[in-house]
Amino acid sequence: MNQAAINLIVFAALVAIIWLVSKLILSRNILHSKEQKHKTLTEDILKQLFHVQQSNRIATISNLSGALKIRKAKILPMVVQMTKAGLIETVDDTILLTEEGKAYGLKIIRIHRLWEKYLAEKTGYKAAEWHYLAEKMEHQLNEKEILELSDTLGNPLFDPHGDPIPTQEGDIAPVEWIPLPTYPLNMPGKIAHIEDEPGVIYQQILAKRILVGSHIKVISSNKNEIIISSEGQKHIFSPIVAANISIVPLSKNEAYEERAERLSSLQENQWAEVLGISKECRGANRRRLLDLGILQGTKIKVDLASPLRDPIAYRVRNTSIALRNSLADLILIKKLNADENT
Amino acid sequence: MTSQHKKDSIAALANRLRWNIGDNFHDKLTEGIYADAADIASRAVHQQGEPRNATMDSKIDSIVTSKTWGFPIMIGILAVILWLTIEGANVPSGLLFNLLIDTMYPILKGFSSQLGIAWWIDGLLIDGVYLALAWVIAVMLPPMAIFFPLFTLLEDFGYLPRVAFNMDALFKKSGAHGKQALTMSMGFGCNAAGVIATRIIDSPRERLIAIITNNFSLCNGRWPTQILIAVIFIGVLVPDSMSGLVASASVISIALLGIGFMFLTSLGLSKTVLKGEVSTFTLELPPYRPPRVWQTIYTSLIDRTLIVLWRAIVFAAPAGAVIWLVSNIEIADISIANHLIEWLNPFGLFIGLNGVILLAYIVAIPANEIVIPTILMLTVANLKMAGLGEGSGVMFELDSAMETSNILSAGGWTLLTGVNLMLFSLLHNPCSTTIYTIYKETKSWKWTTVASILPVIMGFVVTFLVAQVWRLFL
Repeated sequence: MNQAAINLIVFAALVAIIWLVSKLILSRNILHSKEQKHKTLTEDILKQLFHVQQSNRIATISNLSGALKIRKAKILPMVVQMTKAGLIETVDDTILLTEEGKAYGLKIIRIHRLWEKYLAEKTGYKAAEWHYLAEKMEHQLNEKEILELSDTLGNPLFDPHGDPIPTQEGDIAPVEWIPLPTYPLNMPGKIAHIEDEPGVIYQQILAKRILVGSHIKVISSNKNEIIISSEGQKHIFSPIVAANISIVPLSKNEAYEERAERLSSLQENQWAEVLGISKECRGANRRRLLDLGILQGTKIKVDLASPLRDPIAYRVRNTSIALRNSLADLILIKKLNADENT
Repeated sequence: MTSQHKKDSIAALANRLRWNIGDNFHDKLTEGIYADAADIASRAVHQQGEPRNATMDSKIDSIVTSKTWGFPIMIGILAVILWLTIEGANVPSGLLFNLLIDTMYPILKGFSSQLGIAWWIDGLLIDGVYLALAWVIAVMLPPMAIFFPLFTLLEDFGYLPRVAFNMDALFKKSGAHGKQALTMSMGFGCNAAGVIATRIIDSPRERLIAIITNNFSLCNGRWPTQILIAVIFIGVLVPDSMSGLVASASVISIALLGIGFMFLTSLGLSKTVLKGEVSTFTLELPPYRPPRVWQTIYTSLIDRTLIVLWRAIVFAAPAGAVIWLVSNIEIADISIANHLIEWLNPFGLFIGLNGVILLAYIVAIPANEIVIPTILMLTVANLKMAGLGEGSGVMFELDSAMETSNILSAGGWTLLTGVNLMLFSLLHNPCSTTIYTIYKETKSWKWTTVASILPVIMGFVVTFLVAQVWRLFL
């Protein structure tokens, strides 16, 4: 074989090795110490137990093993150690959290949700990546860092999925959500929570551009499909997907706007009035829209579409501002009839 | 109650009330402030007369952003500007060259020999520093003085934001900002100016992408190298009547390849190291207005051309000294340059280049303009060719491509060397002016290092692959 071919093969092998090594380093197993792994597993078990008790189910070694995808032989010594440490107690084969264990579990949940909130507000990570990143971070912050994080975020009460964030003292806001499949027909409500696990279903919900905080009405609901109308669009869900979306009825001071639509659906030569910016438009993007004067009551119309129809320029306050369609999806408007446009 | 008790009970009350105010009260508060501000402004600001007539604007817009004409107009304008720059710079460049190198240089040399200045001072200052400065000014000033005012005129007219508007959908696919189309085009003039121009990108992530990938725009310091090598090595492959066309086509494909690498690298960066940086997009399309020609020419000369030229001069002067020193200091009767060339040769030949080219790119980091003169000088000195060049450490260029070609083939250059030099000229570290500018703009050693090292690595990989595949099949 000639030299050039050998060089190419050696090069390909080098690239493959570098790729493998970087993969290994990125996967968390290789760099973490034994203590760190032990801590992570303890905290994962506490968190899982907390969720199980919240939903009034019973935790055993076998269903822990199933939920965490860890062999029973590995869970058993953990349970023994954690009982000794006073975090859990066992009654027959049921595992229960002690007060101390519950507080610890709540702390982990607090970090997880605070970190998701941080990722949503202050970074450019996509919604589908938040959970995975928070799963890593929840085992790494100390008390001081948690307080600082909470402070920078303005001590938020809810995470970006709508879950309440436990406070420093261990209080957690009560939630009165109704799962979408059982929500009454034609009753105005808003999306309170979108479950981010399992990822497959969450991806499907994200793909429909359903947003936490959107107002909805259920149009029809049966065991095959659930149809909702929200912000000028109809969405069809299978019950298994709908079960991961939770609704709360609107409170007294929230008005259901029948004509609400998204700015991205505005046609040319039509005026509209801005109703507001979705809760899911956060951080720098939200501030930018406010800076541009896109506020409740602002008149807006399509000025110009680019050759590929994204972005589209809108006329706001006598200025032409181009927005990408993904951002225009987060602005709620009410189309104006000819006589309203004065 | 003690004051501590009071504090505690207030804190407890605050904590209880938190649950009642809803989870988005920060947003509500901000929006309230903005709404009040808008209300105050609408009451306090009075507009005299009618708002300007926007029909003319929308007529222009409906053409320059239309599906049919948007892209052709854009490409046409960029092509015309580049053509005007390259063609138009020839005459003033020639004049400057004549003045600074053909006339001033011998006068300075004569003057110094009359004064009896030691040969090494004369060599270091006149052959080294002065010649490098003169070269950079002669080659760099005219194209920049043409390119930037033209660009600024388009900006002033209001056309450039429409380019960003048209191009955004394409740039968005690689995680970048539509305005990167502008900084990229600016990079065709000068990468340092392109990096400064990224200030128009207000989203942090997209701005970093634009800064790091600006080097993939073939700047005007590199166009002459590309054209010369294309004429010498690629133009001769076809009959004479076609050679000009084929040479230009190969230079244009290198520039297009650069755009391809720009998109690929943008995508790679946004998926890896820049993942998670905040990203926003809003773009204001200002009304068109007649450009203020004189003011534009003045500011673009001062703001862009002269600043960049000054930085280039500051870096070129020491480079001239280094080039002269490595060629004239001898260790064991062989100049440092020749030692380095011998040392770099194995690796250079391995990736289809040679030691001279690598050394030229190292000592000519300050300015791409002096790469070819340095290569010629080093080749002649390395081969000890008699009767060519001006002596060791003195850069030169030849009037005819034929003579240049003779020197290069004597230096062992082949078609592969030519092709790989064109690729390496596209894919190598930014010049030191640009590196310094990147540091000034990002204030981060990390991103400066990434922006400097990444293209060189890509250059090595690409030239290596081309060389191996070439040797495998040809």
